[in-house]
Amino acid sequence: MKPQNLIALLLFIVGAVWALTRSERSVRSIQKSYYSAISPFLKAGSAMETGASEFIQEVEHSKMWETKYKLAKEELDEKRMEVAHLRKLEIENAQLNQALTFQQKAPFHVIAAKVIRRQPSTWWRTVTIDRGDKHGVGVQLPVLSPEGLVGKVDAPSIDTSTVILLTDEKCQVSAKVEGTPEVGIISGQRGLTGDSPSLRLRFLSKEAKIKPGMLVFTTGRGRLFPPDILLGTIKSFDSGPLFGEALVKPAVDFGALHTVFVKIPNPLDSP
Amino acid sequence: MIKFTISVIVLTLAACLVQQFLPAITGLYGARVLILTLVFLCCSVSVDFAPMLLLAFICGFLWDAQHTLGPQGGDPEIYSNPAESLRFGYSIILYAMMGLLMQGIQPLFRRGKWHISSILAGIAIFLYLFSEYLLLNFARGDFTFPPGVFYRIYLTSALTMLFSPLIFWVIFRLASTCRYTIRYDGLMSDRQYLD
Repeated sequence: MKPQNLIALLLFIVGAVWALTRSERSVRSIQKSYYSAISPFLKAGSAMETGASEFIQEVEHSKMWETKYKLAKEELDEKRMEVAHLRKLEIENAQLNQALTFQQKAPFHVIAAKVIRRQPSTWWRTVTIDRGDKHGVGVQLPVLSPEGLVGKVDAPSIDTSTVILLTDEKCQVSAKVEGTPEVGIISGQRGLTGDSPSLRLRFLSKEAKIKPGMLVFTTGRGRLFPPDILLGTIKSFDSGPLFGEALVKPAVDFGALHTVFVKIPNPLDSP
Repeated sequence: MIKFTISVIVLTLAACLVQQFLPAITGLYGARVLILTLVFLCCSVSVDFAPMLLLAFICGFLWDAQHTLGPQGGDPEIYSNPAESLRFGYSIILYAMMGLLMQGIQPLFRRGKWHISSILAGIAIFLYLFSEYLLLNFARGDFTFPPGVFYRIYLTSALTMLFSPLIFWVIFRLASTCRYTIRYDGLMSDRQYLD
């Protein structure tokens, strides 16, 4: 081996050992710097994506108007289209109202955030939102939607944050089954695909009387998530050799996440 | 040589940015194009050993900076069995191993057989993802290998491999612009196959 290659190899080993021995705090600091550096690109990309989808919608609308023009003399068809369009607007309006009502009526302080990137990694189920440190978003804060729990903040940077979804194995939540004394830990499953794969509710008692369709909520234990947030519904229950385990259908449609809410600490609570 | 090395580092950083906008394809078991990994593999077959290690360090570092997850947090009495994460920095080692694999076929690449390098890039990505998943299982215990995981690894490797001719074309253009000859130090003759 050439001397310069040997030196390069030694330097590489030193660098790799340095990286592998970083503390949790310095890893977080590295990640914060990294995300601060790329967040302008992420936001620009998200804006471009929004622009593109608006353009597509405009093209679709143009086609719709063209069709309407052609069918202008056929009054009945025209009215049908108008009704269909009004229904679409009504649904959109209802969705926006639902989000607004959630923010206003939530029994805790939440801030709305837009999902700007989905599943950036191969094995983890995460999304990136457009709120970060400067908006009061901190590590481990719960992320919610009107339907239920979405996940928790994993790595906030200055103006974006990574959210680890409930469907990831790493996001564990203390959960209870409605109408029973059963309490367990719910989390995602390793290697499953699809937008909303089933969750695993573990450490239930073997004799638990759990039936499909029962609702699963957060317990509020463990100092991470507020109590009584909907997680999903029971799909099946299996009493294993030591503990019972249930499969749970998530309440949130993770494939259709656009706006989420981060529960931030109440400013009045802080000393 | 230095100009070309700087160029491939810039290309790698550009690939890191492009990677942000390449989503997982839900219909294909969550497969995606790993453009950063592909650019690293294509570059590593075209540079010497030392720049390859530098690229491996940069790529692994950036990859982990983006993907490393934090601890579970909360009350340890309630969350007594947290899912472990892979340690920050493990990707540096995996990238270096892939780079070494690519360096092994550098003589063929120098002879203009870039298509073999393309196939090997696909194989390297497959091995990389497979090793990553095995490491994940090792760290978390309870070995599981659902068919979806195999399809995700296979389809990600195949999809990414399809883009390798494009990356090689960019690298050849860069080499030409920088007046760099992609050569293999182990050969005795001074013939230049790729200009």
